[in-house]
Amino acid sequence: MKAPIIMQGAGKDNGTEHRDSAAEMAAAVIRERSAAARLVSASEITLLLEEHPEPDTNISGEGVTELLTRLVFDNKDLHALSGAGVQWYYSSRSMTEAYAKVLLQTLEGPVGLVAKTVRHNSRIYQRPIPLEIFEKTPFNLACRQVFDCLTTMAATEGYEDIATTETSISGIYLYSTTYLETEHAIMLAEWFDVGQSENP
Amino acid sequence: MRGYGGWAGKVLRVDLSTGGIRTEDTIERYKDYLGGTGIGYKVMWDEVPAGIKPYDPENRIVFAVGPLAGTSAPCSGRTAITTLWPTCWPIPLVASGHMGGQFAAKLKYAGYDAIIIQGKAERPVWLMIADRKVEIRDARGIWGQGIRSATYSITEIMGRDAVVAAIGQAGENLVPMSVVMNDVSHSAGGIGSVMGSKNLKAIGIQGSGSIRIAGNKEEWEKVINYHLSLLGGNNQHVVPNSPQPWAEFYDPNTRWNASRGRRWGGAAHTVETGSCNPHDKNRIAYRSNVAAHFLGDNAWKSTVRGNGCSSCPIRCHTILKVPSVSSKYGIPAVGQNTCMGLTFGRSFFKKLPGGPKGTISLEACMVGMHMADDFGLWGNYGQLQRDFVKLYYDGVIKKKLSASEFRSYSWSAYEKGDPAFLFELLPRIAGKEGELGTVLGLGTGHMLERWNLSEDMWKKDKALGYWKMGHPRHHSSEETSQCGLLINLMYNRDSQCHSHSNFLRNGLPLPVQKRLAAELWGAPESVDGMGEYTPMHRSKARMAKWALLRKELHDSISLCNWMGPWAASPLMERGYSGDDSIESMLYRLATGDNKNREELDAVAERIFLLHRALTIRGMGTKEMRTRHDTIPEWVYTDKPGKPPFTKGATHMDRDDIQVALDMFYEELGWDKATGAPTRGTYRKSGLESVAGALAKRNLVPA
Repeated sequence: MKAPIIMQGAGKDNGTEHRDSAAEMAAAVIRERSAAARLVSASEITLLLEEHPEPDTNISGEGVTELLTRLVFDNKDLHALSGAGVQWYYSSRSMTEAYAKVLLQTLEGPVGLVAKTVRHNSRIYQRPIPLEIFEKTPFNLACRQVFDCLTTMAATEGYEDIATTETSISGIYLYSTTYLETEHAIMLAEWFDVGQSENP
Repeated sequence: MRGYGGWAGKVLRVDLSTGGIRTEDTIERYKDYLGGTGIGYKVMWDEVPAGIKPYDPENRIVFAVGPLAGTSAPCSGRTAITTLWPTCWPIPLVASGHMGGQFAAKLKYAGYDAIIIQGKAERPVWLMIADRKVEIRDARGIWGQGIRSATYSITEIMGRDAVVAAIGQAGENLVPMSVVMNDVSHSAGGIGSVMGSKNLKAIGIQGSGSIRIAGNKEEWEKVINYHLSLLGGNNQHVVPNSPQPWAEFYDPNTRWNASRGRRWGGAAHTVETGSCNPHDKNRIAYRSNVAAHFLGDNAWKSTVRGNGCSSCPIRCHTILKVPSVSSKYGIPAVGQNTCMGLTFGRSFFKKLPGGPKGTISLEACMVGMHMADDFGLWGNYGQLQRDFVKLYYDGVIKKKLSASEFRSYSWSAYEKGDPAFLFELLPRIAGKEGELGTVLGLGTGHMLERWNLSEDMWKKDKALGYWKMGHPRHHSSEETSQCGLLINLMYNRDSQCHSHSNFLRNGLPLPVQKRLAAELWGAPESVDGMGEYTPMHRSKARMAKWALLRKELHDSISLCNWMGPWAASPLMERGYSGDDSIESMLYRLATGDNKNREELDAVAERIFLLHRALTIRGMGTKEMRTRHDTIPEWVYTDKPGKPPFTKGATHMDRDDIQVALDMFYEELGWDKATGAPTRGTYRKSGLESVAGALAKRNLVPA
C-alpha cells in the first residue's frame, strides 16, 4: 500500500504548495489515495506529517491518532476501517465501503481473501464465483496462488465450507456450502459459464 | 403533420411490380400505432390477408421506425422490419426483425417514417432514396455479390455517408435463414429471402433533413441527460463485473466489464477503459466490451474499439483485429459484431482447441462473421448451430446425405474444431448447395419436416433450446421463470424480449431487485433468484405484461429493447431505481403528443393486440391457448425426480403454468379458455373494426 503521496490543493505563498494544517493535509491524502483506489494507513499519515514539519503539521504519535479521529468525526466522507491490526482510511467521495473492505481483505493474505470473497458472494448474492475473478483487480492473484489457496484451505480447519465445482467447459467455480446448496451452486455455475453465453 | 415533432411525416410506399412510388401521411394513417412494429402490424392487417405466403408478391415488407429515431434520444437507432415470416412453421405468420446501425436515423433524415415494399420486380433492383428523390434502380450489376461488395457499390453512387441495407447471396437464393444488413454488421434475421423474393437487393438512403423536437429544447436536453444518467452497461447491466472503487456491488456475469488496467489492445494506440464511474456520462462507451464478455479476457488484446447504432453510447458491437486470421484463413484481420453475430462461427463446433475462450474460438468467430455477414446468413438465435451439432453427433447428417455428399465435407477437421471447416459449410447454406446446405437454410421447422424428424424430439431436449414454430426460446423459463415463459408464448418467432431479462440479469443482489420489483409490479414475489423459483404470483403476470408491452413500445417508438427498459440504474443515491417513464418523457417532448406512461403503454397494448389478431387470423382459429401458446416438454423435465420450486431446479410445474396462463390472460383482458382477446378488449383499445372482422370468422370468444 506504500506509495508516494503527492500533495495537491489550493496553493498560496507565491504558488508553492502548502497546507494550512495537519488536518487538511491528512484529509487531502486520504481523498487522493481513495481517488487512486487505495487505502491509506494511520502510520503512513503519521510519516507524512513528520516529513512535512511545517508549523501546523508538526504532530506525531497520539496527536495524529487524535487528529484522525476528529477528522472522521468532522468529515462525512472520511471513514476508518480496522484490519491486520492497522487503522485504514478512505473517502467515500470516490470509494465505497464495499470496495474499501475488499482492499482490506487483500491485505490479509490470499487464503483469507479468497475465503471471505467466496463466502460474501454465496451469502449476499447467492452465487458461486469463477476462479479467474481473483486474477482481476483489485484481487490481483496469480492463478497458481488461487490453486495454492484451495489446497491450503482443503487441509486447514475452518475452511470446510469452501467448495468448488467444475462446469462442462472446465470452468472452476467456488462457493460456500454454508450459504449455498451444492445443487444450486452447480446449476448456477453451469449457467454462468455456459448457459448465459448461449442465451445472450 | 399538424404540428407534431418526432415523426418525419411521410411513409414511402414502393410497388415493385408496377414501379409505383408514392407517399402517405404518417400522422393521418399511423399515428395511433406510433411507428416501427406498430406501422408494420397495421399494414399487414389492412393489406395482407390470411393465406398469403412470405414469397408472394402480395406480402409486404415494412421497414419502419418511430418518432424517436433520428433524434438524440439515447439508444434510438433501431429499425423494425415486419413481414410474413418464412421460417415460421408449419404456417407462416407475421413477425418482425430488428436492426440497429444508422438506417433508422438516415431514413428519418430522408423524410420518411417507414418504407412499405410490395409486389415483385421483374429483375433484380435496388431502391435509391435520396431525400425526396426515390428511384427503383437496376441491380443486375450487384446481384450475386455479398453484402459488403453490394454496399460499397451503392455508396460509390450515393456517397460514402449513405446507408445501405442489403441482402447477400443467401437472401437472393431464397434461403429462409437469411438477413438484411446495414452498416457492415447490423442485421435483421429472417428478412433476407423475403427481399430476395421481391428481387430487391438493397435499399440505399441519403438524407439531408432533420427531425424537429416539438418540446422545449432545454427540457429535451435535460431529459436526454437524465436518460444517460440511468444507463448501465450493455443490456442495462447496472453493476460492474469486478469490484470497482465507485461500486457497492459487483457481479462477474454482467457486461459492464471496464476496469482500470483493462485495455483495447488492438487499437492503434492502446486505450484503457478506466473504471467508468456511472456519473461520468462521457465514458459510457467504455463500459462494455461485448467481445471480452463472450470470448473471454483473450479478446481484450484484439479489441480495437466499440461500435454501434446512431445515438447510442453503449457501442455493443466490438471491432476486433486478429491478424492471425489473415494468414491462416485469408480473410480480413478486422471484423465486428455483437452477441450471436459475434459467436456465429464458433457455435457450430462442439469442441474447439483451447475451449470457447481460446484463440481458436476467437478465430472461428472471425471466420464465421466474415462469411455470415457477407452471405447474409441468419443463425436464428443460435438454433441453426445447435441443430447442426445435434444432427451431426446423432448421426442424422450421415444418414440423410448421399455418401458422396457426406464425403465432400471434412468431418475430421470439424470434430477437431478447425474453423476452416466453415468455408465448406457456410457457402453451401447460402447457395442452397446439396442436401445439407439446403436443409440447414430452411429453419428448424421446415428442416424437421423435410427430414421426417419429430418436433417432439426437439421439444424434449433442453440443451437444444428449441421452443416452438421453428424457433428457439429467448430468455424463457430456464432463466426468468414464469415471466419469461409467458412472453415466449406470444410470438411467432423467438420473442426477442429483453425487458424482463435485462432487469433480472442487471447484477443487483436479489433483495435490491425485489425492492425495485415491488415498486414496479406491486410485490417482491414478481422476481425470483436464478434457480430458486417460486409458484406463480399475480405480480409475475403484471411483470410479464409490462415486459411485453415495453418491448412493443420500444419497437414502435424506436428505442432499443436490447438496452432498455431502464427499470434499474447504476446510481446508488437513487437506491438503484431507474425510471420506466423515460420513454413517455422522450416521446412527449419529441412529438408534442402529451401521452403519459400509462397512455403510452395503452398504445403498446393496442399494437400487440393487433399482432395477436394477425396471428389468430393467420392461424384461422381462436384456440390460442392450446394451438399457439404451446410449451415444449423440456420446460417441465429439467431434473427428473426433483420437484419444481426447489433450489437448483429450473423446471416448471404443469399446474402452476396453467395458473400462470390464467393470470396472464386476465391481465391482458383475454379470454382464459381460448387465450384470445375478448371483443371488449379490442374495443377498449380502439380496435372495434379488427374485432368485427375476426368475429365474422368466429375468431372472437363468445
